[in-house]
Amino acid sequence: MHHQIVHRAGAERETLWVLLAAGLILATATAAVGLRPAPEAEAALAPHQIDSRTALTAAEQGLHADLKMAAYEIAAEIAALRPADGTSNGRAPSPAELAAQALPPFAADASAAARGGHVWTLAEAGGTVAYAGLSADPGIAGSLVLLLDRQDDGHGDRHGDGHGPGIWLKRAAEAPPARLDEASLAAAGWKRITSTFTAGVTR
Amino acid sequence: MSLSLNRRRFLAATLAAGVLRAGAAGAADRKRFGITLHPYYSYVANIVGNMAEVVPIIPAGFNPHAYEPRPEDIQRIGSLDAIVLNGIGHDDFAGRMIAASSKPGLPVVEANADVPLLPAAGSMAQSAAQSAARASGKVVNPHSFLSITGSVLQVATIARELGRLDPANAGAYTANARTYSRRLRQLRADALGKLASAGDTRLRVATIHGAYDYLLREFGLEVSAVVEPAHGIEPSPAQLAETIATMRRLDVQVIFSELNFPSAYVETIRRETGIRLYCFSHISHGDYAADQFEREMTRNMDTLVQAMLETGQ
Repeated sequence: MHHQIVHRAGAERETLWVLLAAGLILATATAAVGLRPAPEAEAALAPHQIDSRTALTAAEQGLHADLKMAAYEIAAEIAALRPADGTSNGRAPSPAELAAQALPPFAADASAAARGGHVWTLAEAGGTVAYAGLSADPGIAGSLVLLLDRQDDGHGDRHGDGHGPGIWLKRAAEAPPARLDEASLAAAGWKRITSTFTAGVTR
Repeated sequence: MSLSLNRRRFLAATLAAGVLRAGAAGAADRKRFGITLHPYYSYVANIVGNMAEVVPIIPAGFNPHAYEPRPEDIQRIGSLDAIVLNGIGHDDFAGRMIAASSKPGLPVVEANADVPLLPAAGSMAQSAAQSAARASGKVVNPHSFLSITGSVLQVATIARELGRLDPANAGAYTANARTYSRRLRQLRADALGKLASAGDTRLRVATIHGAYDYLLREFGLEVSAVVEPAHGIEPSPAQLAETIATMRRLDVQVIFSELNFPSAYVETIRRETGIRLYCFSHISHGDYAADQFEREMTRNMDTLVQAMLETGQ
């Protein structure tokens, strides 16, 4: 007598294999993602630094950009005023001279009034030139200092973050900084504004 | 007689050919610098003068927000010596075009390398997660060209980098850049001069497209609300209703819309809220021209001054 076992129709075995394959794929993907995380691109800021994109008010962002622009112009003027024989450095233009050229943020225009009404003074120490602007309304924008090297071409990096001249901020400043070196500024509560270049996210 | 005439003709022809060859050689010596967007044509044209050629890689008439690279545009990249890019989100297609071109190693000038960038404009029509990502500053606002300071900083960077690529003309590029930057700064000074007697000019501002943060910051203004989720993406009816409610709540005084990008829903907002509406140019239309940036920025700043004066009254 011939016996033959006929299994009932079903897909248990196939289902098992499909589930196993799916599990294997998921496990591989999880391991790959876990082992290759995207590098943390942003370097943490030092305590005496402040990020221009996220930590400044709108008025401060505008003033910071204007100071960067002014740094080029001032550096060019210092170079132009330098004696041809190179025996001494050129004179730094005063805030009043810069205002007369309508150079923002020194110009006393409607924009200056709307962004904190800063009063600008010039201080020099050694090879460093500092333009300090005391804010009349720290709620809108804090006080700012632009530091330049006499030898800078406006692209200089001695004070900077890899991006030009040194620009420092203090929200509650009652006087311009007494000393212009980085350590003294940081100790006096000033924060250096840093800005980073971020390429388009869909590049 | 006829022989002498022929000889003279031959001589003249030879001389003319020589002059033409010299001219062609002069043209061949001129560098070819590519650009992607209209403002960058104006910047580079003013920096290089007639010492180099400025080559737009997108033909005039294409909207850069919706541009898809075409083979003939990619082919044009092969003839360039360098390309000047916005690089922060407005011409992200260019990198892929360069990679696909016959010159994948083409020198790239990152015009925005030295510009303090702002975060992408927050939209009222986006989710909380999107807002958080934008607030963290990971996505930047690519419209740094729609401002005077942003432009002057870019012009300085472009002049310096093009000078490195073309050292024979570096001095002239720097000098031209300074002259051009002074002209641009004067445009802003002229506009601000018109506000001298205006008193308090602070405004609560909404914009349809998130392109004008850089410009408004130069005038001490801040954008309270941006309507479009992304450029050219119209808000849904529900988003529109929410937008209108938000504008009423924030007591927005002025809305800035955009020339050349008419949208029916903008009229709905204006009708429902009764807020004054003014239009800026995005400077991405028309033929490429050296003076286009100055012309259209003058008009933008005149519009802004008009809005501040009329609303302040």
